[in-house]
Amino acid sequence: MAARETNPNFMNGVPELLILRLLQQEEMYGYEIVQAIRIRSGSVIAVGEGVVYPVLHGLEREGALKSRRKTVKSRSRIYYSVTSAGSRRLAHLSETWTNLAAAIQTMLTGGQHDPAIQ
Amino acid sequence: MTQPFNELRERLLRAGVAPRHVRRYLTELAEHLADLTAEEERAGRGRADAESAALIRLGGMDDLAKAMTEQRQFQSWCVRAPWATFGLAPLLLLAGAWFVALFTLAVGWKIFLPGSDTPFVPVGGPIYGFANVYFQVDRAFFFGAPILIGWGIGFIAARQRLKAVWPIAGLVPIALIAVTAQVRASRTAVPGGFGHIGMSFALGSSAQPLSIGLYHTSVVLLPMVLLMVLPYLIWRLRKVAATD
Repeated sequence: MAARETNPNFMNGVPELLILRLLQQEEMYGYEIVQAIRIRSGSVIAVGEGVVYPVLHGLEREGALKSRRKTVKSRSRIYYSVTSAGSRRLAHLSETWTNLAAAIQTMLTGGQHDPAIQ
Repeated sequence: MTQPFNELRERLLRAGVAPRHVRRYLTELAEHLADLTAEEERAGRGRADAESAALIRLGGMDDLAKAMTEQRQFQSWCVRAPWATFGLAPLLLLAGAWFVALFTLAVGWKIFLPGSDTPFVPVGGPIYGFANVYFQVDRAFFFGAPILIGWGIGFIAARQRLKAVWPIAGLVPIALIAVTAQVRASRTAVPGGFGHIGMSFALGSSAQPLSIGLYHTSVVLLPMVLLMVLPYLIWRLRKVAATD
């Protein structure tokens, strides 16, 4: 199986954030999730598409997601949706990443680092 | 399932990922691959090119395996705690099975042989019909339990692609317990009182010298271990044959 270039840091907490964000809006199956990430990130986030499943299964085991098998257009697939615990986790992750992104942006543009963001 | 998934399954199982997680992962990967192939075909590629492109998009074997193996929560218990799976659990299971067998024996003694000093009747002995079947089934359960547990150990080990060390380490104590176990039953001195059923473990009978007891135990132990390990051996031999 050949490999293609991917974001090596993709697995470091970002997939959970993106997946929870997408699934909060509607339930999706794995292929839909990956396509949605690719389209909404403007193909900036590149990932071996199969690696999304361990993340989904991990989130489900931790109670952040729930799944059900559903047949749509004669294709049976496992659909995932966010639980209330997943919503809380999303809120926490969003806050963390927003603060982090703001801090990095401030540093890149040469601004003064806000001491409140520590 | 395509060849890459077969290889991936073997890698994941050998890395200790629980079979149920492997099965689900591969099922979803196969479904995802079908979607990707269809997408590539809609984009104008031929079937073979579409499948190749879909496999590349799905991810490299190393990435797919690593994503699963680096999460400890997907590891099976026989890899996380082999001492519990192959050591403790079979012993507890055997104790439970033998408790049920002895309890059934005691109930049968009380119902079918209320006046007898012992519940043990020779095969084809003085009782017939349902009572005979009852005691024979109970006897088969008692003697079959260690063998079934041994087969279970072998099945779990084969399913997880484990080497022989842990399964053998689990099988030998069970076999040793099975061949040294003795059941004793006696009626209490009180007239009409309940009988007593107990177990002991000994090398041969108490009347024999230890050396003869050891010899007899060894003679019985070897075929017992072989019988218990049979499914695992068959799996190993089939695997070797498939590799050649």
